[in-house]
Amino acid sequence: MKQTTKSLRMDMARFLPLFAALLPLTLLLGWLRVPGLEGATFQRSGINLLLFDQGILHLLPLAIAAGLALAFGLACAAKASRPLVFGMVAAFSAAIICGIYALLSAKETADASLLLPAPFMVKNLQLGFWLFLLVAVLGLILSLRALKQPTTYIVLTTMAMVWLLPIIWLVITSFRAEPGAYTTYVIPKGWTTSNYTRLFTETSQFDFPSWYRNTLFVAVITCALTTMMVLMISYTFSRLRFPSRKALMNTGLIIAMFPGFMSMIAVYHILKAIGLAKSLVSLILVYTGGGILNYTIAKGFFDTIPKSLDEAATIDGASKNMVFWRIILPSSKPIVVFTAITAFIAPWVDFIFVSVIMKDEYANYTVALGLFRMLEREHIYEYFTRFCAGAVLVAIPITLLFIRIQKFYVEGVTGGAVKG
Amino acid sequence: MSSMAVAKKRRKEKRSILKELYQTFRDGDAATRLSFLVMGFGCLRRGQIMKGLLYLAAQVLFIWFAFSFAWQHLSKIGTLGNVGMQRVWNEELQIYLRTPGDNSMLILLFSVLSILLFIGIVVLWRASIRSAYKAQNLAQAGQKLPSISDDLKALLNERFHMTMMTLPSLMVIAFTVLPTVFMVLIAFTNFDADHQPPGNMFTWVGLQNFSNLFGASALVSGTFSRILGWTMIWAVVATFTNYLFGMLLAIFINNRGIKLKSMWRTIFVITIAVPQFVSLMLMSQILHDLGPLNALLKQFGFIERSIPFLTDATSARITVLVVNLWVGIPYSMLITSGILMNIPKDLYESASIDGASPARMFFSITMPYMIFVTTPYLITAFVGNINNFNVIYLLTRGGPLVTDYYQAGKTDLLVTWLYKLTVERQNYSLASTIGIFVFVVSAGLSLIVYNASGSSRREEEFQ
Repeated sequence: MKQTTKSLRMDMARFLPLFAALLPLTLLLGWLRVPGLEGATFQRSGINLLLFDQGILHLLPLAIAAGLALAFGLACAAKASRPLVFGMVAAFSAAIICGIYALLSAKETADASLLLPAPFMVKNLQLGFWLFLLVAVLGLILSLRALKQPTTYIVLTTMAMVWLLPIIWLVITSFRAEPGAYTTYVIPKGWTTSNYTRLFTETSQFDFPSWYRNTLFVAVITCALTTMMVLMISYTFSRLRFPSRKALMNTGLIIAMFPGFMSMIAVYHILKAIGLAKSLVSLILVYTGGGILNYTIAKGFFDTIPKSLDEAATIDGASKNMVFWRIILPSSKPIVVFTAITAFIAPWVDFIFVSVIMKDEYANYTVALGLFRMLEREHIYEYFTRFCAGAVLVAIPITLLFIRIQKFYVEGVTGGAVKG
Repeated sequence: MSSMAVAKKRRKEKRSILKELYQTFRDGDAATRLSFLVMGFGCLRRGQIMKGLLYLAAQVLFIWFAFSFAWQHLSKIGTLGNVGMQRVWNEELQIYLRTPGDNSMLILLFSVLSILLFIGIVVLWRASIRSAYKAQNLAQAGQKLPSISDDLKALLNERFHMTMMTLPSLMVIAFTVLPTVFMVLIAFTNFDADHQPPGNMFTWVGLQNFSNLFGASALVSGTFSRILGWTMIWAVVATFTNYLFGMLLAIFINNRGIKLKSMWRTIFVITIAVPQFVSLMLMSQILHDLGPLNALLKQFGFIERSIPFLTDATSARITVLVVNLWVGIPYSMLITSGILMNIPKDLYESASIDGASPARMFFSITMPYMIFVTTPYLITAFVGNINNFNVIYLLTRGGPLVTDYYQAGKTDLLVTWLYKLTVERQNYSLASTIGIFVFVVSAGLSLIVYNASGSSRREEEFQ
């Protein structure tokens, strides 16, 4: 136990009971009447309003959190210890969550109480409530610091919420029973899995299963072809020295700098000229042709494989072909995985090229273009929840694959100089 | 190596190719000299039958191709076709029949293809002369000539680069080089909605499109200058906000005391992993005037009227920048966190012994180091933002549209304007002109990075 008390910052911990006591006090501010502010727009506003009628339910968690904080604070005042300060962290966090809940439900409560002449706005909440939130946040920071824990947890949690909320909304909406794109509420009124099942059963207008098959087919073949060619090209540029090497690399660099969809129309006409327009084969060709120039990361990886390995093998009589297959490839498994996964993902996420190539050939759509079509004005009301379900079905495999290759993005940008 | 030295070297190379051809002709015997005219003759004459036949076949194929295909297109390249679609009275059927006229687009496309093939045959021609000369030299020295199986073996060893490069190069030429050259040429024509083949022809107009873009046409150049301005503001703000906040996030996550680092990182990575067409379409729904965000804000009593996130010019511009933060911060977090971990720890240790505050350490150690290491990334990101099609198009489709812009809206970037001009308006010539401009800007910036980073010079160091 000696160790735990030692790792507490007592100078911080000493202030904690003060904050714990302030918390319930701010709640009481709602009933305080400052003479000068009396009789403004609202007779009753802010915290005390929340206590009316059904509103008591909204304030109860607030009071419980404040009470908990007070209890821990008193205990801390008697003898500060690590578990107690942890308790305070929990109590202050609960207070913040309850405070935000009260904030969000304030209008509902106020409107339900029928006591107000004008529409209630959050800004009409009384000072006491904002003080409550402020004290809770400060208390949380202080207790974390007393525990010698980084306060950046608070920032991280807030940011994580902001980043995850749209995605959570997507998942929730995919289970929503009511149709429509724009709802005035977030939590669905009814839950269902029919958005998923109908994607696969009602295929007369939007044939999701066949889009999924198309995309999978295109992705698998593109992945195989692109991986092969990218590995070939990066090995050549990394290991072989021949007269036109620099010129070819520079040409590739320059060509890749033209905006990709500038040449889309020409690509379409080339495909039409060879009789492949609107076919899945044309998609494979386009994605492969476009993917080849992304060889720099693989080349950077090959550059880091010691040349002495090749040289030793060459002395033993291996040809360059054998060096590629027996030495470079076996020691580059991670980059093969990276190349394959990036090539595999491309057909799932592109909708620009596919829309130019496929035009109205619905049977050969990929999921990206198909889902995109669901959001057109005439379909959005009926299909929005199914769009969300389809998007979830696409996003899950892509996300899993992407998490696997994330570290290569770092290495790619820093030219292979960073080893994870 | 400076660009001047490169140019000098190139010129030297060019001269040496001609010189080599001349020397070969001077020193070659009859068979080698005939190879200048008949590809593969030298090889055939000296018994490399298979190789000689292949060269010969290439030449025959090319001649056949030149007369049956290339000529009929290349002969019209000066005007891009002069016979329009016509209606001809058909005596038998007693009706007018349409006869297809010249299709300017196919003429141009196939001409470019023919020229590329011509360049290919010149390369082969040179190779055939070389191999004839080599065979002559070997024969004169009394050595054995390489058989076809020797040549095939060489393709797996000394000439392995040819084996490896052929297929990828063909793919890139067919689906990247050919279309790009074609579209660059389109910028010098009047290929737009009024000149749509088949039916109507288009023709060369010289620099007309460029002068329209830079001032001759008030509507187009006015739109261009304002879109260019917004593109630059967008690229600068988007790049730096993403970079700074991404780095801050990375610093937060890499903080020594933070537990479950990989969990935090994964939470943010999920948002880049979700396909952009999903996450951005979703954002545009969320931010719609009737969308859930406005609904929630109203329900909570923060606002009374919907905030026009995407429908008012100024707020739409702010919204796309903010949403871009949502999209871009995780990505720059991912990139900067790897580099942050590489900053020598002793720098921080000695700083903290000297009593430096965390803020002081950030500005005196972290920032200078990061900016030094990530300058190439910053410029790549800047170029990427100039070309950031997805965020703009999926969120606002370039809107809100205004009438004093030519086919564009207030949040349109040059690339989304280009896309709209091609896909929605078929104004290919103007679109290509913009494309060339975007290329010049991106290529110029990238050239600076390439020279500044010195990665071209360091290439061999790692091996």
